[in-house]
Amino acid sequence: MNNHLKALRAERSWSQADLAEQLGVSRQTVNALETGRYDPSLPLAFKIAHVFGQPIESIFTED
Amino acid sequence: MSKKLASVLTRTVIGIAVFVVVVFAAGIAAGYLSARGTIASDQAVFWLVAVVSVSAMVGAMAISVAWMRSIDEAAREAHKAAWFWGGCGGMAVGGVLVILTSLPQAGTLSFPSWLDGRTDPAAYAATGAFAIMLLMLMGYAVVWAWWWITRMRD
Repeated sequence: MNNHLKALRAERSWSQADLAEQLGVSRQTVNALETGRYDPSLPLAFKIAHVFGQPIESIFTED
Repeated sequence: MSKKLASVLTRTVIGIAVFVVVVFAAGIAAGYLSARGTIASDQAVFWLVAVVSVSAMVGAMAISVAWMRSIDEAAREAHKAAWFWGGCGGMAVGGVLVILTSLPQAGTLSFPSWLDGRTDPAAYAATGAFAIMLLMLMGYAVVWAWWWITRMRD
């Protein structure tokens, strides 16, 4: 699964730690999400969508 | 360190302190009852160790639940994958040993047990249980490290 997390985070000038705090996960998890090495659960995906104010399908796309 | 994890660590330290006090009190009670002749000393030791081991395992499970709830989903996923694949891998290795030692030809082999060289059936059963646990833990450690390094590195 691909995602635009890094770009969305950069637009807001947030660090990985900033985003991690808002999502309630570790910074390493945010890094793993951004690099596509870890796919989030559905609840986390919804939380990410809520934080960025966008629908899930605009943040995550199929390979 | 997250607040949740810090809270778990604090409760763990308190739990260990309570456990030490319970063990100390149980030891005194067992010694007193044994000295009075209410129960035999062997029985006292057995019941003391039974209480201590059950308390320790219940405490360990309680800590595990709290700790698992305090970590984020990726860290939980690492442990789940490690227990499934590492645990199954460890059991597979142990399964080969179980099959081989069940052969009649293995009856002539003499293995030292891990319990102070004891050779009674209970000691061998405990040695087998320890061996399976060790293999599963080794598998768990390997898979957990692989999962973490491949996904969570910067």
